[in-house]
Parts: sequence; C-alpha cells; structure tokens
Amino acid sequence: MRMVCINCPKGCVLEAVRGADGKVSVTGHTCPRGEKYAIDEMTDPRRMVTGLVRATGLKRPLSVKTRQAVPKGKIQEVLSALARTVVCPPVAIGDTVIADVAGTGVDVVATCNL
Amino acid sequence: MKTDVIVIGAGVVGCAVARELSRFRAGVAVLEAGSDVAEGASKANSAIVHAGFDAKPGTNKAKFNVLGNALFENLCRELKVPFRRNGSLVLAFGAEDEKTLEELSARAKANGVPVEIVGRDELRRREPNVSPEATAALWAPTGGICCPYDLTFRMAENAAANGVEFVFDARVASIGKTADGWRLAAADGRVFEAAAVVNCAGVHSDELNNMVSAVKYSIQARRGEYIMLDRDEAGLFSATMFQTPSKMGKGILVSPTVDGTVIVGPTAEDVPDKEDKATTAAGLEKAKAGALRTCPRLPLNKAIAEFSGLRAHETTVGDFILGEAPDAPRFFNAVGVESPGLTSAPAIGAWLAEKAAAALGAARKDPADVSSDCGWWPKMRETPRAEFAEYVRRNPEFGKIVCRCEEVTEGEIRAAIRARVGARTLDGVKRRTRSGMGRCQGGFCTPRIIEILSDELGVRADEFLKSRRTAPAALRGRPAPHEETDVLVVGAGPAGLAAAEAARENGAERVLVVERDYAPGGILQQCIHNGFGLHRFKEELTGPEYAGRYIDRIAALGVPVACGEIVTDIAPPGPGEKAFRVSTLSRKGGLRTYRAKAVVLAMGCRERPRGALMTPGTRPAGVYTAGTMQRLVNMEGMTPGKRVVILGSGDIGLIMARRLTFQGSKVLACVEIMKKSSGLARNVAQCLDDYGIPLLLSHTVTDVEGGERVTGVKVAKVDDAMKPVPGTEIHFDCDTLLLSVGLIPENELTKRAGARMDPATRGPAVTPKMETSIPGLFAAGNVVRVYDLVDWVSRDAAIAGKEAAIYANGLH
Repeated sequence: MRMVCINCPKGCVLEAVRGADGKVSVTGHTCPRGEKYAIDEMTDPRRMVTGLVRATGLKRPLSVKTRQAVPKGKIQEVLSALARTVVCPPVAIGDTVIADVAGTGVDVVATCNL
Repeated sequence: MKTDVIVIGAGVVGCAVARELSRFRAGVAVLEAGSDVAEGASKANSAIVHAGFDAKPGTNKAKFNVLGNALFENLCRELKVPFRRNGSLVLAFGAEDEKTLEELSARAKANGVPVEIVGRDELRRREPNVSPEATAALWAPTGGICCPYDLTFRMAENAAANGVEFVFDARVASIGKTADGWRLAAADGRVFEAAAVVNCAGVHSDELNNMVSAVKYSIQARRGEYIMLDRDEAGLFSATMFQTPSKMGKGILVSPTVDGTVIVGPTAEDVPDKEDKATTAAGLEKAKAGALRTCPRLPLNKAIAEFSGLRAHETTVGDFILGEAPDAPRFFNAVGVESPGLTSAPAIGAWLAEKAAAALGAARKDPADVSSDCGWWPKMRETPRAEFAEYVRRNPEFGKIVCRCEEVTEGEIRAAIRARVGARTLDGVKRRTRSGMGRCQGGFCTPRIIEILSDELGVRADEFLKSRRTAPAALRGRPAPHEETDVLVVGAGPAGLAAAEAARENGAERVLVVERDYAPGGILQQCIHNGFGLHRFKEELTGPEYAGRYIDRIAALGVPVACGEIVTDIAPPGPGEKAFRVSTLSRKGGLRTYRAKAVVLAMGCRERPRGALMTPGTRPAGVYTAGTMQRLVNMEGMTPGKRVVILGSGDIGLIMARRLTFQGSKVLACVEIMKKSSGLARNVAQCLDDYGIPLLLSHTVTDVEGGERVTGVKVAKVDDAMKPVPGTEIHFDCDTLLLSVGLIPENELTKRAGARMDPATRGPAVTPKMETSIPGLFAAGNVVRVYDLVDWVSRDAAIAGKEAAIYANGLH
C-alpha cells in the first residue's frame, strides 16, 4: 500500500507490505515515526480530529482537538459528538471538553481560550 | 455651580473682565455658549488697535478707546501677544474728504489723540502703493495692529492661571434673581449661581440684559466681510489704510497684520441672524472695490481666505453700554461693544472688574499672589532659529513642522491643546497656533492636527469637527502620555510574537506589539487544525495552541500587546532624530503616535483575490478566499456554503476542504491549474484523500455562474500553456467557490515607510539580519516572503527581533 506520511510537512511517500507472517514491512520512510505511521495505516489507521463546539452566549465557537488520534472510522461519530456539545466559557487551552469521546478512550480538549 | 462672579461670554471683553477680576479675592467663572474662547466677533474683526480719533468726544467709545489703546503695549508684552504700533492713515480722495479729515482732526484733539494731516506727496513717500487719487491723509501714530484671538486666548489663559474657571458649550438660556444674587440656567440644564454677573455676550448681550432689566436694549448684528491676502504681500503698506468713515462704520481698510498677511475689509451690512457668518459674493465684491480704491494694484489674486464677522451694534443708544443695570443690582453690562471694541477691551475689563469687585466688597489680591503665567510656548515663526534649536533639543516635538505654510511645529500644537484653556477643536488649534491659516489653508496640516488632537485627547479621529468640542470633559488637561518604545512590532501574529519575544530577551527594555485584531495570535487563531510546532516545540499543536505558547511567553516577559489598534503610518527618523514615529488608529485611543527606536514589520500577508485570476463570469455572492472562509467558520461560527468547489490547492484551501466537510458541507472538487498541488502532500492526503474529494490537476474554473449567489461553475482541463482545452468542460452545481490561489505579502506600510522592495518576493529586500533598506526597520514572517511553515516564521522572526533589540540598544 502506497501512502503519503502525514506526520510532518516533508510528506514522505511510504510503501507498506504485509508479509506472509502478518508483519508489515515499510519502505520510503525517513524516520521511525514514518514507519509507525505506515504500520498503523495498515492495521489501525488513526487521525487527530480538530473541530469546533458551540459556546453559550458567543458567536465564536470553541476550537477543540482530540488529545490523541482516534480511529479513522470513528471520525464521523466524534464530529457528531462535537456538534451536540455546548460549552460554557470561560474555557482554557487544555481543558477537557468531552471525556472519552465516542467510546474511543480519547478526550476532546479545548485548543483556545474562550 | 456657585461662585462670586459669573462672566457671560469668553470673547475679548469677557476674557479681559475675567482676567481683571482674577486680581481680586473672588471666585470667577466664565460661561461661554461656544466651544472655545474668541468664537464671536473676537475671531473675525480687523485686528486694529484704533488710535481713537473718530469716536464722538464724550462717548464711552471715545473714552475706552483712548484708555485701551494706551494699555496695549504693556498688556501685549505681559501676555506675549504680537502687537505693533504701525500707525494709521485715513485717506481723503478730494476736497469733500479733506473736510472730513479736518473734522476727525478736531475730534482727535478733543479725545486727546495725536494726529497730523499729511499731503499727497508725503503720503506717497510713506506709502508708495497708495492710490494716486488720494489727495491727503490723517496720520495717527498711535494706531496699531494685534492678534485679537491670541490676545483673547492669552487673557483667558492668564485668568485661568489665577483661578478663573471656564465653562464652554454653556449658552445662558435664563437668568433669575435669587436672595443674594443671580441664578443662570444653561440651555443644557446646567445651573450656575453667582452674587454678580457681568454680561459680555456680544451680539446676544441685549437678550441677557433684557432678561433682568426693564431698560431694554436691541443689538443689530452688522456683518463685515473680509479678504485675507498671502504674506507675500506683507510689504504692501506699513500703516493701516482707512478711508473716511461713514455712518455704517470706518469703511474698507487695507492693513498689514501682525502675522505678515494683509487684511482687506470690512463691509457693513445689517443682517437679521445673529449667527450668520457666511460671506457673500456681493459683500466680497464690495470689499474688493473699496480696497482697490485705496490700492489700485492690490493683488487680489493672492487671496488666501475670506471670512465675515458680526459687530454687536446697539440701536437705541449707539454707544458702548457699560456698568450696572439701573434696576438689576450686581448685574453689569458690556452691551453694544462694537468697534473700537478690541481696542477698548482692556480698559473695559479693568473698569467693569473694579465695579463688580466693589459691589461684592472683594479686595485686591496681593500682587505677589497674582500669576503672570499666560501659557507661553515657543513659536518657531517668531523665534530666532538658533534660540528655537534649543527648544527642539529640549523637546523634539518642536522639531517637527506640522503646518508648513505658517511654520507651526507639533510641539506648538500639543502645547495649545495642553494649555489650561486648551484647544479642543481644529479651529481652536488654528487660532492658538496659526496652523492652517497660511497659503494652503490647512490642506496639508489638517489630517496631522486631527491626529495630534486625537492623540492628546483620546478621541476618535472621525469624531473631530472643525469647531465643536468633542472631547469628554473629564479628559481636559490630562493629555495621554506618549508611548516611547525601544522596539515596536507591527502585528501580533506568529512573526510579531516571536520578534517581540526575541527583542525582549535580547535586551530591549520597552517592547510594544500593536495588533489590529481584538486579540493576539494573528492567523493562527483561525487555523484550528493541528500540524504546527513540530520544529519549534517538538510537538504537534493546533494554531491557537501555538499562538498561545507565544502569548503566554510575551505576557511573562511583560511585553504589552495593544489590540484593536492598526498602524497607519511609519515615519523613519528624520535628520537628527533617533526614533521612528508610528501612527496608529484605534476605537479606544483614536489616532496615536508612538516613538520607536526600531520597528519590526510583521503584518503577514493577504490572499490573492478573484480579480487577480481574471476568472470570467458574473460576480455573485458565494466567492470566498479560503482564509476568509476559514475565519467565517472557525471564528465567526458561520458556514456559508453547502456545495463547494475549491479553486487552487494551496494549504488553506486543502485544510478548508476538510473543515467544510466536517461542518457538513459537500466539497465537490479541488481544482488546480498546475500539474501538482501547491499545498503540502500530507494535506492532500489527510484533507482530500481521506474524504474522497477529487483533486483535478491541470484544471481551472472557466466560468462562474449565478446572479445573486453562485449557482454553478464550469471547470475545464488546461493545456501546457495553461489555456483551457475546448470540449473538456465539466459543470458543477454549487453555491460556493473557494479560492486558494496564493498569498501576497502585505506591504503597504513598508512601502509608505520608504523601504526598498524585492520584486521576486513582493516583500521588502532584507539583509540576513532581516533589516530592510531603512536602518532600524526590520521585517519578519510573511511580510517578507510567504512561508509554508509557521515554525520557520518564528525562527526568522526571532532573528529580526533580536537584531532590532541590538539596533535599539546601540542608540543609547
């Protein structure tokens, strides 16, 4: 499987192949993060999700992110959870907005002060 | 408010009375209907100190004219007001007029005024520009010229220095008797009480008298129109040139002024409206015709201003009505003070003050307790250059000429505003400093003076009116302090924040960041996606988080960020100066000027608009640049599109493809004219590929459709020359076209400051120290060139900040 690594702006093109033993071997990477990314893409692809939640009394929404990457297949559920959430300011960078979002075990945290 | 004496009117008479009253142990307040002193006849008259030969002997006019004339030398010396005894000549054109000269001569003798009749030849010898038709003249050596509004202002200033309070915009609407004096109600409801009142209300003085006394007076406003000639003509006449007087007045005069200009006028015309100060075509023609009689070669093409004033002509008595109203104890009048009112004012002031003080039983202050302070400041125009250079050395504000025509410096203008009875309007500054009175009549200096007024008073520039005071009363006498800085950073985005941090860390004591948005962080605040800071912070952050690190950092360093304030101009230091002058505009502070030893430009960049692409079609709503859409979605909480086509594959466009998808919009395609994306490969992967959004390379938008709103776009393949290939058109039904077609460094300020530009980057040419072609002016971030990564912006901006600090410190 060919892919572009999204870990850094370099954008290395990676080639991942699952061997007969079930192990994934990676070529094209220039750093260990690249190798891990390719393996994850084959086994458990994940993405950071950044998004917006509404804040009471404000036009400006609160920007948030998942503290870690969540399974790619859960992105839509995470977005739905964000859409249902309303925070009450003040909120500070790093505050947990949704704990264990969409059953991923990952928290959604604020990325701006509001 | 309750006091001992209230003077109504802050014209030359009212201020003279107030100043004389301030020599007594009594509380004094001046109520003025206008927004400044000298708003009535005191600002628009002939500026003549009359000798006193033409008033009928025995009248108040004759008496106070002669008394007042004698006081001028000392008064003007004390108040440092320009005054010159240039003498006056009354011209006779033929035998009839010469007879009048004889009469005037007799009156002069009766009034105790020295005069002499001179013949045609002597007249021509003295005044070569006089008309050959003039057959003789009456010479009065004690005649003089002065500046009436400067005199009024300085008397007010000296009165204020001695405790007199000035209340402006207080038109007295009613006066009632109280047990121990008078109760005055202003039109706006304010109430003032005093034991005694002195009515110096000019054209309205009859109305005030008539409120309290059965002895009624009637003022007829008599308009006089004037023409002012450029100072090129200063040598036209040395004396004031009158013609023989008529019933309506002293006739049209031509006179030098103390300011070097030539004044022509006035006409005399009774007008029904006591505020009608318009000039008229007929009036100006009359003034011209009269003046041409005195001087046939009068250079009327040198006219710089025309104006008119209103004389307060009393119709029942026809003289100055001075003193206590017979049936209104402690109500004193100065009614009907027309010409020679300016000349008489000092004497009227002393006389009326004496009367009012006697009525109150107020004793004179010990002369040692009387201040001679008249709010003096150095005037470049009147000061020898070497002497003035010393003032400039002490205060560089005096080194900046604001009004070029009249050589008025910024220091003078600021002093006029900071005075006790300080200027609050453009006209107020003008009358105190002469700024805007020269040949260009404020064309050059008006915006600069507005700026200084805004800076000093903390009032928004667009709220300034010419002659209405707008400053909150609370701000009077408390000018905003100057912001002196070592390093001033323009913009609190990633470049500005990093530059400010580095400047502070490298020894710059006073660092200031000026930011036009309401919060620091710049574009990072709307870049809510992750991917920032891997190099700088060794971790992946979102834009607001990345900005937050810097915001916290510079807060910890004590670097202030002035938000909501936009820099409008950066003036490099002039010769001999050490600081840039950075002008800003803000809602709160109006126009301000900061001084900075070094400046870092960090304004970022802006997006290329549709117009830059020349995409044909209609111009409906729904065409946005990606960054604008990003702001709308991420900061303003809007999602203004349901079906979106993106033109260009810059990073912001790619990021917005994902964001709009997250927000529930359908992104139909990303169209790129080049053979590969201009954005980062990882953004194509994680923003388009992840969500199945097609990237159409070598394609472009060939038509935008829709009337009110976009209804669709046509997209076609392009050939190697990037020309659309016929027959390859695809149609998309969409309501939004997003443009992500490049960024342009924002360098209006850079260019205005005079820095050399690099045509390749469209930013300023910079050295490895990030210094522009102007020493001390540095640049950082996207203002220099468009960066891919904020981490590199921070790195290079830190260089700029550090070097700016070194530069600033080198100047100590």
